[in-house]
Amino acid sequence: MTRFACSLFLGVLLLAGCDSITTTEPPRQTIDAELRQNMTQWGVIPIGSMQAQDAAKVALGRALFFDKVLSGNRDIACASCHEPNNGLGDGLSLAVGTGGTGIGPARTLGPGRQFVPRNAPSLLNSGLGLFYMFWDGRLTGFGSGPFFNQPDTLLLSGFPNILAAQAMLPVLNRVEMRGTAGDTDVFGNPNELAEFGDDQREAIWRAIMDRLRGIPEYVQLFNAAFPNVSTQTLSFRHAAEALATFQRDAFIKTDSPFDRYLDRDDAALTLEQKRGALLFFGEAQCVTCHSGPFLGAQSFANVGAPQIGPGIGKQLPLDRGRGEIDDFEFYQFAFRVAPLRNVELTAPYMHSGAYPTLEAVVEHYNDVPTAMRSFDVMQLDPAFRDQHHGDDATINTVMPTVDFRFTQRLDFSETEKRALVAFLKSLTDPAARNLSSVIPSRVPSGLPVR
Amino acid sequence: MKRVLVLSGLFLVCATTASAQLIPIRTVPISQSHQFEILPSQTFGMAGVSIAIPDSLLDPFDNPAKGARLRAARFFGTPSVYSVTSKAGGGRTFPLGAMIKTGPWFGGLSVALQEVDFSQRNGFNDIIPFACPNCGGQPVDFFGPVERSHGNAYLFAMFGRDLPAAGLSVGGSFAYSELNAVDGVDLLYAGSARIKQYGDAVDIRFGVLKEWSNGRSLEALVLHNRFGMTHDVFYLDGFWDPDTQQFAQRPRLEQNLDRTRTWGLHTEYEIPLTTSGWRMGWLATVNRMSHPKIPNYEIQNIPRDPGNSNAFNVGVGVSRTYNHSTFGVDVIYEPIWSHTWADSEDPVETDAGEIIPPGGKTIENRFRFSNALFRMGFGQQIAFGETGTSAGIQFGLALRTIHYWLNQDDHVSLTSRNLEERWVEWTPSWGVSVRFPELEVGYRGRVTNGTGRPGVANNPGILVADAAGGSNILVAPSGPLTLDEVRVVTHQFSISLPLR
Repeated sequence: MTRFACSLFLGVLLLAGCDSITTTEPPRQTIDAELRQNMTQWGVIPIGSMQAQDAAKVALGRALFFDKVLSGNRDIACASCHEPNNGLGDGLSLAVGTGGTGIGPARTLGPGRQFVPRNAPSLLNSGLGLFYMFWDGRLTGFGSGPFFNQPDTLLLSGFPNILAAQAMLPVLNRVEMRGTAGDTDVFGNPNELAEFGDDQREAIWRAIMDRLRGIPEYVQLFNAAFPNVSTQTLSFRHAAEALATFQRDAFIKTDSPFDRYLDRDDAALTLEQKRGALLFFGEAQCVTCHSGPFLGAQSFANVGAPQIGPGIGKQLPLDRGRGEIDDFEFYQFAFRVAPLRNVELTAPYMHSGAYPTLEAVVEHYNDVPTAMRSFDVMQLDPAFRDQHHGDDATINTVMPTVDFRFTQRLDFSETEKRALVAFLKSLTDPAARNLSSVIPSRVPSGLPVR
Repeated sequence: MKRVLVLSGLFLVCATTASAQLIPIRTVPISQSHQFEILPSQTFGMAGVSIAIPDSLLDPFDNPAKGARLRAARFFGTPSVYSVTSKAGGGRTFPLGAMIKTGPWFGGLSVALQEVDFSQRNGFNDIIPFACPNCGGQPVDFFGPVERSHGNAYLFAMFGRDLPAAGLSVGGSFAYSELNAVDGVDLLYAGSARIKQYGDAVDIRFGVLKEWSNGRSLEALVLHNRFGMTHDVFYLDGFWDPDTQQFAQRPRLEQNLDRTRTWGLHTEYEIPLTTSGWRMGWLATVNRMSHPKIPNYEIQNIPRDPGNSNAFNVGVGVSRTYNHSTFGVDVIYEPIWSHTWADSEDPVETDAGEIIPPGGKTIENRFRFSNALFRMGFGQQIAFGETGTSAGIQFGLALRTIHYWLNQDDHVSLTSRNLEERWVEWTPSWGVSVRFPELEVGYRGRVTNGTGRPGVANNPGILVADAAGGSNILVAPSGPLTLDEVRVVTHQFSISLPLR
């Protein structure tokens, strides 16, 4: 009897076979019908033009965006890393903060400085109310807030939108804009902003406003933008609101062929772009992360992006991304899924700026494990090649939490890869290609704009 | 370690304290039985082997006719705690009860109070934005503080009589469970802000036990079990409003019903094999379950409403008791067939242009299970002289394999899909006890491996605008769902003493 029982049990175990899913195909549809059907469930909608913004705030925000007076050493402006001629990024793998010189891809580190640990994200369409801001999504919130910044648990309230709340933060960062204690500014004067402790945020913001109030042209601009606020009660919050207003006015670019296609213009996309879109919204499963109105920006994933740079957080020189904020296994080395509208203009790609072209990105996703182990540093700017961490220990640390969708080859054909890239390029609003018209010839501080 | 869940329908059947003779149906490896393992058992530390080993504490709960085997009135208490690793759940239970035998009559009463903790969500409650062109301007409401745990209450009553002339015993039992929390359910609704559970379970049994003088026994049991839970699931939906070009939040309430009715028939036969302490037993069970409503858990994306299942088990067990040692093995095979479907509320046009009328089936799921359970246990009693005091140790291992095939027909898209899923759960157990002439105290524990708790590999999904408008849920998972592997650890303490 015992033998019978064992046989019965083993028989049950042997019944286990391979998982299998078979599907009977529905009747064939046209490519447009199939594509539209595939898209409907992913919240992809056309985005209309931004409503008109307050002109006075736009003018103030524009001046502030390009003015290096916001930085401790008066040597870096928002536009230094978010350059209108570089897709509102800087074209570098990792940003160069205070102390650096030059513009765009030619920007270089200052003596004794280190790179900002992550790629400067493009500001194109960031005024559309993204839910997660920054690569690690550390700033979150709905509508007009309150907005929550992690891991320092800073609660930012009283802002009209998340972009205004976001504008409060880079000026606090020592590497990006504020500088280190003992720094002197471009005129050789002490950097008073750098002398504050990292937790003295309000004092830093007040000090910046003191600088701005000392410039008569800014007082005029602030008074015009905020006529009901006295000059003495103006705060950096008003500056942040103006910065956001300017970005919402100037950097929302949503008139792409894809938007027109979403508006039922079947001719807006080429056949190759439609084939790429079919892959994107279908077999390649790109849309499972890159979904919603922005085709991304609402979730996190570890896609096995190369680790480059000084790192950030507790596991230097690595960058655990969202894992520094939420110490769950799932979030280790996960970063905010990039929004893809205008992605063609925002190279280099990934949080570490590892890939210079969309073709390289698609190649990475085609075989993530291999890409992680065989990353070619020659595709990096020479300044970053020795910053790559491609050793086995790093790969073995990052690999276990790579999203399961990338643990095996996707096996795109060359034709499919080209189609995917073609589709990604259909997300470009032609108006975003040249934003040089927003660059002012001068700023109120008199500091150089470029 | 994560287990990828491939689009499976979800059963979590069936929750009751007297769970023997109710065949569990599960399509995802989420273990819930530990919540209901609150009754005293002498073989708990031996993996619960039961076919050929009598368990005078637990048997009357399984088959009330077995209360006839009581030798004396006893009081018992079995406080127990269980916890799920990764802070994925836990609970505490305090049952008290007594069993009495007076002449040919016997009976028992037990009550238990239980507290079940909410599971910590492992990044599971992230905002799930969606595009909603017509959602602007709706107010955001809040639901107050989230309660971290909820209480359940259990009542069990049993009554029976010996019929010595016929060698028969008969008994009936009634169990009622007031349930406000079924462990793990709060994890099954991805992205929810809060879940309120309420409902009850009723279990009615009538059993017969025939015992022969040579040690043979035959039992039969008829049972009816009704399980009904309601889940009020609150969501705070994040959506992107094209009008304001901002993300906003909006509250949403969904009510899901979980209803299952079971009729069961169970027989068991035991014989002593030799004079050297070997016993052998066989069992067979038939369960007929109807599922008037199965919840649309968001962990699965198969819309279903009603269904029915036919579940069977056949098992064989052997044991040997020699001096103070006890050894037992059970092997049980459970074939199950289940059929569930989704009803259309309105006329639905298929891809072929035909119309499915209201009430017609839009999707049909046919499950075929081939499950097995293997239990092995060992116990040793050590007597201390002639004082009547002894100590015991127990070890056991249970292995459960779940293996099923799903055939799903979508009558709207005219597609079909076949799915095969399987997993193995193994549960080592242990126990120590000390028996004094007037008192027995014990500790038993077990840890179940191979089960998981839901997580998601990425954002759980995007609600389309129409679905967000409030009609029945339509969720498009953004990727295969995953279970984070967890261990479930149960500790049970017991005290048993004669009432007089």
